[in-house]
Amino acid sequence: MKEKLDALLRDGAAKIQAAKNETELQEIKGALLGKQGAVTELLKEIPKLDVSLRPEMGKAVNNVKNLLAEQIAGRREELKLKASEIAPDFDCTLPGIAPKMGGLHPITQMCYDLNDAFRSMGFEVFQGPEITSEYYAFDNLNFPPNHPARESMDTYWLEGHDSGEANEKLCLRPHLTGGSVRYMQTHKPPYRFVYPGRVYRNETTDARHERAFFQYEALIVDKDLTYTSGKVMIKSILSKVFGVDVPVRMRAGFFPFVEPGFEIDMGCLVCGGKGCSVCKHVGWIEIMPGGTPHPNVLRAAGVDPDEYTGFYVNIGLDRLVMMRYGVDDVRLFHGTDLRFLGQFH
Amino acid sequence: MKLSLNWIKDYVKLPEDMDLSRLAYDLTMSTVEVEGVHDLGKDFDKMIVGVIEEVVPHPNADALRICRVDIGGGEIKEIVCGGTNLENGMKVLVACPGAMVRWHGEGDLVEIKNAKLRGVASFGMICASVEVGLADLFPVSDTHEIMDLSYLDVPAGTPVAKALDLDDMILEIDNKSMTNRPDLWGHYGIARELAALYDLPLVEFTPYTPDTEVPYDVRIANGDKCPRYIGAKIEGLSVKPAPYKMQSRIWRVGMRPINALVDVTNYVMLALGQPTHVFDSNHIIDHIEVRPANEGEKLTLLNGKELELVADDLVIADAEGAVALAGVMGGAKDSVLPETESVILEVANFDSKSVRRTALRYDNRTEASSRFEKAVDPERCDLAVSMAMELFGELYPEMKVTAYNDQYVNKLVKKEIDVDFDWLDRRLGMRIPQEIVARKLGAMGYEVTFTETGMHIVVPTWRSTGDVSIKADIMEEVARMYGYENFQPTPITTTFDAAINQLDMDLVRKVKEYLAFRCDMQEIFTYPWMTDNFVNAILPTTEGVLALSTPPSPTEKYVRSTLLPNICKAIVKNERNFDEFSIFEEAQIFADRDYTSPYDEVEKLPYQAKHLGCAFVGKAERISELFRTAKGVIESMPRFTHMEGFTFKKEEKPYWADDTVWMNVYLNDTKIGDIALLSRKAAMTCGIKVLSAVLVELNMDAFKPLKSRTNKYTRLPEFPMNDYDLSFLVDSMVKWDDILAAINTKKPALLQNVLFVDEYKGKQVPEGKKSMTIRLVIGSGEKTLTSAEIEQVANNIIKKLTKTLSADIRSV
Repeated sequence: MKEKLDALLRDGAAKIQAAKNETELQEIKGALLGKQGAVTELLKEIPKLDVSLRPEMGKAVNNVKNLLAEQIAGRREELKLKASEIAPDFDCTLPGIAPKMGGLHPITQMCYDLNDAFRSMGFEVFQGPEITSEYYAFDNLNFPPNHPARESMDTYWLEGHDSGEANEKLCLRPHLTGGSVRYMQTHKPPYRFVYPGRVYRNETTDARHERAFFQYEALIVDKDLTYTSGKVMIKSILSKVFGVDVPVRMRAGFFPFVEPGFEIDMGCLVCGGKGCSVCKHVGWIEIMPGGTPHPNVLRAAGVDPDEYTGFYVNIGLDRLVMMRYGVDDVRLFHGTDLRFLGQFH
Repeated sequence: MKLSLNWIKDYVKLPEDMDLSRLAYDLTMSTVEVEGVHDLGKDFDKMIVGVIEEVVPHPNADALRICRVDIGGGEIKEIVCGGTNLENGMKVLVACPGAMVRWHGEGDLVEIKNAKLRGVASFGMICASVEVGLADLFPVSDTHEIMDLSYLDVPAGTPVAKALDLDDMILEIDNKSMTNRPDLWGHYGIARELAALYDLPLVEFTPYTPDTEVPYDVRIANGDKCPRYIGAKIEGLSVKPAPYKMQSRIWRVGMRPINALVDVTNYVMLALGQPTHVFDSNHIIDHIEVRPANEGEKLTLLNGKELELVADDLVIADAEGAVALAGVMGGAKDSVLPETESVILEVANFDSKSVRRTALRYDNRTEASSRFEKAVDPERCDLAVSMAMELFGELYPEMKVTAYNDQYVNKLVKKEIDVDFDWLDRRLGMRIPQEIVARKLGAMGYEVTFTETGMHIVVPTWRSTGDVSIKADIMEEVARMYGYENFQPTPITTTFDAAINQLDMDLVRKVKEYLAFRCDMQEIFTYPWMTDNFVNAILPTTEGVLALSTPPSPTEKYVRSTLLPNICKAIVKNERNFDEFSIFEEAQIFADRDYTSPYDEVEKLPYQAKHLGCAFVGKAERISELFRTAKGVIESMPRFTHMEGFTFKKEEKPYWADDTVWMNVYLNDTKIGDIALLSRKAAMTCGIKVLSAVLVELNMDAFKPLKSRTNKYTRLPEFPMNDYDLSFLVDSMVKWDDILAAINTKKPALLQNVLFVDEYKGKQVPEGKKSMTIRLVIGSGEKTLTSAEIEQVANNIIKKLTKTLSADIRSV
């Protein structure tokens, strides 16, 4: 009986340790300590033993019973900590629950990226009125009196304000440069600022033309500034925004409010300058006009053009965003379609 | 504008091995944008002159014949052809396999392949002019007529490009890149730029001297509108085709050859940028007069347009009336006619604005008007007369100028500019050697006199019409010719002054980021004009709303005085794809009042303010939730974006709002906007079909940013706070504000907070009642409360609710 007990303890302990879960443990418990369990059977046999042996053996069997019960309890605790709180059929491959879906307009995103880049170089952000007088839209900017842009075919004039003196005629701003003059009039040079905003042209729309679009103007006015500094500025800004080294070239261009004027191209990021349909196979994309503010513009802003010079660029935000994402229709930006806007984070 | 490189080479001798892509690049960088370079000769690749040895019938087709054609090198090929004018010994254009042709001049280009035609093998194709794009130069009466090249003195097998002198490069220039350069609108102008770029000599013209003493009667009424007019009567002419070379050049740069007389005028314009015209001299009665049109004066143009002129138009007239619209187009009656034998040649200069206005007025822009409107140099007339006379002389050896008059009434004054070296060096960031400056400026026609400290510059006439007038212009000329890419990049220096601190700009961004990233809203952009039905839904009247003179469409006349109409339009658009969404827009609004300008005393700008518009859109059963979400977004906005807080009052129902679900938003004592459910009526006017929308509009200009973050730290409680939930029935009209007011009268000191948990109306509660669940937060900063103490506070509240609001306590 003693050997039986020892074997029972040994086997029982091994089985308990091998139990993989609560069910198995219950089965083992039943087999050992249950009504018909091995230990219980042994206990039942004690009355059949010689009286003198009974106390000792009873003690021994009870001892084994307690030891096994202890081990079962211990194993149960172990299994409890090890066990999963959830059924094994839990599916980890189900898609995650997406965070909230709100977002900024892709143009705003580009604008903020540029703001961050320019601010890191000490630029202020300026905002101006969207309805402007002809004076600030054209006269201040060295546009000759009969420039085609002044006619209604190109500019949205306001009813009842579409004739008379330049300061009486009102329109939706056709560009931002007039607004920059407002900044310059109210600040003392040297200064550097950016002016993001929406402008309006009375045009027929198609995938590449819009009546409302976004410009981003940047202007430095300082002494002894050369156009090459402007090139450095544009290159640093674009490289920061796009996260790669962006080649920039400046070539001859004409705009009434700058002298000299440039067309500024950036290397096509789609093909890396090799030539593709996005860049019309030239490897360069025209993204902004720029140059030194025309002396007449500086004068209109109350700045002495002999003392100060500057550098100005006007970035077409729509085009920049279109290139960044390969958007093929500029009208989507004002289309308010959430299926489109929801694509940009 | 298209330019022929061969033509340019007439005026500047470019090296034979000139790299064309380099030339296009250099022109683009320094002068004008070259959009493309077209290799004209390539269009005629694998096309040769063949000689027909024999024409035999086709065994299987009556309309086809088999030509045995000598294609050079002793090779004779059989070619099946349907041409009607095939003859033995005829020289024809053979498109060999691999050539690209356009069948019968229609459809896309297709490649020629060896093929069998009705059972007979054919080598390539004998072409008609329309099939190889040469119809303008070799006009035919029907498309079955084969191009007859028998007149060419070339052996069989000669490439067509060589035989017809079509080996040329066509540069396509972006017109927009030279609107400021009237001198570049012809081959000669571009030739001058290339001469300056590459330091090559430019061909000069010999001035024309008339060999007649007889003055032609030219009268100029207004020298401002017509600074110069040269009229010359030329006899001994006739109407005949121009020589091939002239026709071919006119054709390859995009115009159509007409006849020798007209072609000479077009050739001169394309060469020099100076438009010219010829009248049939038999039709010009007595004299030429340049004068304003009489009101209502009639003129039929060469293109058949019948005009009724106004006094602002300038016309060329004879003793009887207008014969041409000055600088725009000649009249049909008096220009070159089939029987013309003598002409009046007009080489004149007209005011750019006047020509532009007239061309636009009649929607009749022409090659001539688009040049004149850029302000052409009046002295360009000298070159044009010289070239025209030389060409007439070549074409008509018998020609004679029998009367001539050059009326130059408003002489152009050359601009003079002084440039200081010190200034130039500072602006360029380097010193460019004087000899380079002198050479480049000299090549472009500037007269330069150097002084000790600078230079005195006389601008050539062709740059003095508005293009070059100040020293910055000279700097640009020097820099672009030196090469923009040859300047070293210089970094920008900065001095530290103060950190940029723009609270208002930062606030706008914080608000937008708060709405987008914390409140699950999508930003949208809409146009500043509003569509009429949305205006009617939102505004009781359009009084005080600004409008556009020429709106994008008749129903989009009004400029926004509120953001809501366009936000409603966005709801309509998205209702199709989503049944739940929230959107916002930040934009300027305008109103016809408070005219002022902070920038200028004389400027009067209308009221403009930055507004924020929001829409919370969902199904009708979620209205309560939509409203509370909207309210929560607005309530928490000041705290998250660090500005002064808002309050809500019910003072003035917005026109578009539902009768019950609306509030006004206040900042201090000023109303800054509204939050409300869009009324069913307004939604229907907008065309919103099923969804409900809670709209918010706030005046962002009224927002007051705080100078820094305003978070407050409260020490964490040392003793536990106890939540005590209370449910009760009250009259359904009782408001949350009423409940708070009741609780807060003689508030027990241990009551720390009261929170809303739930509101329920429906089957479980009696009609006219609602069940409210609130949470009392009870605690003390000094000790842990006993349950008796907690109960005491709760009972106090229960008593108040029961007494003031007749609340029926359900559970605690």
